[in-house]
Amino acid sequence: MEISDENFRVWAEKNEVYFDGVFRLAGPDAYAPIYSLISGLLHEGHKQVTFNLTGLEFLNSSGINLLAKLTIEARKMGDLLLVVKGTSQYPWQAKSLPNLKKLHPLVDLRLA
Amino acid sequence: MTPTVYGIESLAGISLDSSTRLTLSDGPLQLGWKHSGMTSDFIAEVMALPYSRSRKDYVQAHHDIGYLSNELIENAVKFRQPGEILIEAGIFDRTFLIRVKNTIDGVTSSRFQQLLHRLQSRDPGELLLEQIETNAISAESGSGLGLLTLLSDYDAKMAWAFEGNNDQRVILTTTAAVAMPPSSNL
Repeated sequence: MEISDENFRVWAEKNEVYFDGVFRLAGPDAYAPIYSLISGLLHEGHKQVTFNLTGLEFLNSSGINLLAKLTIEARKMGDLLLVVKGTSQYPWQAKSLPNLKKLHPLVDLRLA
Repeated sequence: MTPTVYGIESLAGISLDSSTRLTLSDGPLQLGWKHSGMTSDFIAEVMALPYSRSRKDYVQAHHDIGYLSNELIENAVKFRQPGEILIEAGIFDRTFLIRVKNTIDGVTSSRFQQLLHRLQSRDPGELLLEQIETNAISAESGSGLGLLTLLSDYDAKMAWAFEGNNDQRVILTTTAAVAMPPSSNL
């Protein structure tokens, strides 16, 4: 399944979710379909789920809220390992992604 | 009437006379959400140019200017009362400064001032995590996260001035500053 518009694309392949482009949606309501897509994947019974953010150029604060909410959802699952793959190519990732680890110490944050 | 100021008072009073000035007007083009992204992209494109000699500095300047501008303009578009949004931006002494002025209603003004009051005595990093946890269990739209990321993750310096005590129209002026990389050809 895929959700996209002219600026971004998000899709899942097995237990990995890919984010691509510029996410500047207006708030939690606008991000709700993406939240549902990924939250569904978290509850599919995988041992590990990966958020691949290496193509995620820009994310506004409502988008950061989305990632944080999903991290909290993963935290509730107890034994689910959440891998977050990022890149230092996009400055927001080095600045804001470490917050996810503060929310859930078991997040495996990989900033290449 | 003297405005009520939160944050760094000297920043609220700083003159941005020689800055670039943009006005977003409500009119036939219908000022909407997408204009915040377009405007902040434009500001980032223009203001990051002096850093183009170094790829790394350019990327950092472009991103930080873009993120800061986008958050401030998104808030102005989201919470404004009908009327224009005035934006002033410039680079002074290795600092990018942006000031956004718009009108909000009395209810928004009081709620925002409560949040700013809370901010004064707390570490923004702690407040950010607290706000994220609150947003995760509440169905309401998460407010304040943009400002908290700016203060916590971008080390932005900010000031907010509220003018007027009319319930319908309070003029909010937000000024923010972030450090720019040392190299530029300004």
